[in-house]
Amino acid sequence: MSKAALLSLQQALRKSFQTLECNQKVWKSVLSECSPLMDSLANLAEQWKALSNIQIANTPLKDFPDLEEKLRFKLLLATDTVLGKLNEKMSALQSVRDAISNQVYAVIQLYEQNADSLDLLSVTERSATAPSIADMLEWLQDAERYYRQQFLKKKTLLQTVRADNLSLLESTPEKWKSLESPSADNHITDTLCKVSFFMESQ
Amino acid sequence: MEGPSGDITVTSSNRKCSAVTGSGRRIKDGAADWHNLRARWEKLNDDGFVIAGNIVNLRLSSHREQQVHTPPAGGAAELQEECCKLHDIVHKMVAIVMKMERLMASQRGILDLEEFQFGPEGRKVPLFHSWTTKQFEDSSRVLLDAFRRELQLKQTILQELGHTVTSDLCMVYLSCWLHQPFTPPQTRLTLEALLLETGHRPL
Amino acid sequence: MTLKLLSVVPSDRGSQRCRLGPGLMSALGLSLGSPLLVSVPGGSCLCTAWPRPDLAEGFLQMDLKCSSPTLISHPPTHLNLDPDQLTPTPCPKLKGVKITVVVQSVEFKKNTPMRLVHELVKDMLKGVYVQKKHVINLEDIDTEIRYVVVESISPDSSSAGLINSKTGVEITGIQTVRHYRNQLQDQHTVVLGGLEEVSASLREMLQLPLLYPGTLSSLGVSCPRGVLLVGPPGVGKTLLVRRVVGDVGASLVVVKGPEVVGSRPGESEEMLRGVFERARTAAEEGPCVLFLDELDSLCPRRTGSSAPENRLVAQLLTLMDGMNQSDRFLIVGATNRPDSLDPALRRPGRFDREVIIGAPTLQQRRAILSVLCERMPVCPSVDMAELAQRTIGYVGADLSALCREAAMHSIRENSKGSGEQAVGVKHFHEALKSVRPSCLRGSLGRTDLSLVSWEQIGGLDEIKLKLKQSIEWPMMYPEAFVRLGLCRPRGVLLYGPPGCAKTTLVRAAATSSHCAFLSVSGADLYSPFVGHSEKALAQLFRQARACSPCILFLDEIDSLIGSRSNSQTPNSVQTRLLSVLLNEMDGVGLKTVEGRGTEKILEGADHNHTQEQLDFQEVCNKDVMVVAATNRPDCLDSALLRPGRLDHIIYVPPPDKQARLAILKLCTESMPVEPDVCLEELASKSDLYSGADLENLCKEAALLALQEENMEASAIKHTYFLRSLNKMSPSLTAQQIQKYHTSPR
Repeated sequence: MSKAALLSLQQALRKSFQTLECNQKVWKSVLSECSPLMDSLANLAEQWKALSNIQIANTPLKDFPDLEEKLRFKLLLATDTVLGKLNEKMSALQSVRDAISNQVYAVIQLYEQNADSLDLLSVTERSATAPSIADMLEWLQDAERYYRQQFLKKKTLLQTVRADNLSLLESTPEKWKSLESPSADNHITDTLCKVSFFMESQ
Repeated sequence: MEGPSGDITVTSSNRKCSAVTGSGRRIKDGAADWHNLRARWEKLNDDGFVIAGNIVNLRLSSHREQQVHTPPAGGAAELQEECCKLHDIVHKMVAIVMKMERLMASQRGILDLEEFQFGPEGRKVPLFHSWTTKQFEDSSRVLLDAFRRELQLKQTILQELGHTVTSDLCMVYLSCWLHQPFTPPQTRLTLEALLLETGHRPL
Repeated sequence: MTLKLLSVVPSDRGSQRCRLGPGLMSALGLSLGSPLLVSVPGGSCLCTAWPRPDLAEGFLQMDLKCSSPTLISHPPTHLNLDPDQLTPTPCPKLKGVKITVVVQSVEFKKNTPMRLVHELVKDMLKGVYVQKKHVINLEDIDTEIRYVVVESISPDSSSAGLINSKTGVEITGIQTVRHYRNQLQDQHTVVLGGLEEVSASLREMLQLPLLYPGTLSSLGVSCPRGVLLVGPPGVGKTLLVRRVVGDVGASLVVVKGPEVVGSRPGESEEMLRGVFERARTAAEEGPCVLFLDELDSLCPRRTGSSAPENRLVAQLLTLMDGMNQSDRFLIVGATNRPDSLDPALRRPGRFDREVIIGAPTLQQRRAILSVLCERMPVCPSVDMAELAQRTIGYVGADLSALCREAAMHSIRENSKGSGEQAVGVKHFHEALKSVRPSCLRGSLGRTDLSLVSWEQIGGLDEIKLKLKQSIEWPMMYPEAFVRLGLCRPRGVLLYGPPGCAKTTLVRAAATSSHCAFLSVSGADLYSPFVGHSEKALAQLFRQARACSPCILFLDEIDSLIGSRSNSQTPNSVQTRLLSVLLNEMDGVGLKTVEGRGTEKILEGADHNHTQEQLDFQEVCNKDVMVVAATNRPDCLDSALLRPGRLDHIIYVPPPDKQARLAILKLCTESMPVEPDVCLEELASKSDLYSGADLENLCKEAALLALQEENMEASAIKHTYFLRSLNKMSPSLTAQQIQKYHTSPR
């Protein structure tokens, strides 16, 4: 077993957790920027629904025969604008995901390169201040998977929504909300707590 | 809709600096007026939307109360007040459209003058970059038509909003107020083109 | 050391991890995250090795992210694994993979651009170890994309590999989950017995338009759209459709009649439209069959009033007419009551073809039985051919019930002691008693369970011979009849004084010839409603034909069917029944929906002898033998008695002395009689006594013995016989018998 390999691996792990920590903040802030956009999407969906429930010809608006068509056009425009902004947010999320992924892949690669010199006993060894290397690698993988899946779910949702499909549009804000899993997010915070001693011990 | 509205203020100093005179001057001032009128319209529209939203909420909640047989709790006065506010706003909009009509009339006058001066083909050399006088008149007409219809719609909404109890219809009214279906993006582009042509915006 | 397989920890779902003890990991030479192939019964699973958090040995938990297709539907549980079943697998980085994407809904498949699916799938597969032909489970991400099937990988030097961001992902196709699962299910098929002909014709009908639509359209022929399967319940219509659909590789949309019927007005129509829509979308992915089971409940004959069924029928007609040639799906309907269907459904363009599956014939029953018994430990002594012969009128479902029952008998016996686990002949015979053919269930004619042998009837040897000639021989030795150009008799009339064993004789004949036996009397057929009796009689014939060869026994035929000449009311029930009977016997009322199997032509006997005989029996015994009995032959209509109908007319005379002796011998067989009893004397003294009288005589004598000797009687003395003979008087009179001597014809 090589001491140098262990040290460099620990160093890489520290760096990864730092990356994770700051990207978690970025992720949260981007998500908080998304929620007003989702609100306006919900609002627009409500307007779409109201418009399709109403027969313009039977209302005082019957003097404006082309109103419905024009209003639809405007609503479409507004929906597109909101979706466009959401897509911008998605690319911000993507960069967060990529940063975490790259870091985690790099650590795992580093481990794989040195796997021969690190026996299982040493990587599963825990101490009062530091979790084992296996644990930390596992947590990093879990976090990476969480962000990857979250991003994929959100992306699939946004890519499948279209302004001309009312029911899809209506359900999108709710689905978006349901995608958030506070427990998994807390899990990552917990992980960061668990490694805090390890992070300070350099 | 918001766009770069505040960044060109056509002040008198601005006007002094420019060297154009005559028809060109009038058209250039007209373009600036169009821009300012539209900005004021948008401001009124935003204010009106808040008031209209209040009205709908009051109306619907009082309607709900009536359905559960509790006496309406002072909402009527409040409703009346909000309706008055909205009325004022529409009134101001009417004034704006009247000003727009006046602008249109002056454009028309310039066109007539040009025809008198240079014959039916109009002037040979363009006043600014490429537009003929006719084109200025056309774009003014497009703008005026759009705002006129929009005003009609607003007036209808003003009349009906306080009496509507179906939430869907209320929502459609609000949506009409907010999105202004009769001023498509085309109108905005027309106005921008006008500003570009007259040199208010750098090419 | 064995490993206990536990279910995966929730936090590990979708991680492709396989948790095992660090000791085992070291022993296998695995480091953290090394790929590992776990073989379990039914498939294998590719995982990455990780130590358990508690570092305990002896357990295994694996996430089935990448596993064999069968493990998707049947995940392994409660298993103990051997460490040999874990194989470290080298996984090089892959250059490219070819995959099929399985998505949840048709809408997603239709509306999502390929580019987007590709993008999403590529993201999802990043960092996943894949094995060729395995399925990647993406359910944990909870999007519309559920699975990815790995078709091939490159470089294909190893069977597994790792997908990273540089791996090229090529999507060869997109399927829906429903379609994919159908395909998985089709891999284990059911075996059908005796339906080869029907299934071949059905398969052709499905295959031609579904698989080669171009060929048909180039011929200018429109593809058939609908097939109607007709047959009694239990012959395997549903099974057949499922099997054939599975063979052809089509997807199946099943509609059970009652399922689409809703209570709200218009609900049923809506559901029906929904079903067609479902079939249409399924057809976009590949051939599809819409199967309407129990069609008669869905579409009964329309009646005059505006019943809700009428609207449903109209909706089905409209939907069937609305099918375009571009809709590549077939409709298969199944019913056991084709007559109650709306006739509009049965015209070409809707259900173009009708496939009739009747009750299985002898050969088919043998085929079914051998399929059913394939998995059972059956004694070699069980002769399938003999069993098939004895199961006349049994349909597939009955036969499977029979086999089950036989197996149950064998189990019951084995639990009592003897260790041999085999189903023998006696078990089948036991089962035959309790399982009756379902086509005879609910029938008017009673099927008699008590078996009567010829020996149980005393005397009448001449009559027995005649009956054997007309009933038993044609069934047992058909080849001889064919050789001599003999026709089978259509019917037999037994007449004679009452109590002379006419009914018992017929029963004995049925028993010895192993054919189904339906008996009916006047009371069974009478109904206060006009037309019911006739319908019931026709129905009886139909049932009898369904389980042919069959003896239809009309007891007391004179009460059932009168004569046209001497009836008071010319249009009474009796005369109408007579005309039904005449028609049925001439075969006019034969419905087309009853038979099964093509007409076989007898030639080239290259099988062995028994086979040949079976063939003969199958070909010749298609008819129903009508046996009638009466004691008033003069009341019968002469049309019924002409040759070709009831062509054998047999007089069953009252027993002569010889016969009476034989009867008495039979009756006293089970009685303890004193040696001084002289049966000859009794026989000579009992002139004009019928068989029934003689039986009564013996009973009386026994009772008398009990009466005289106070329950302690151990044997019956001759005097008791004589005393009871004196007390009794014969039920027949000489005058009566004289009447029978004129032949009724």
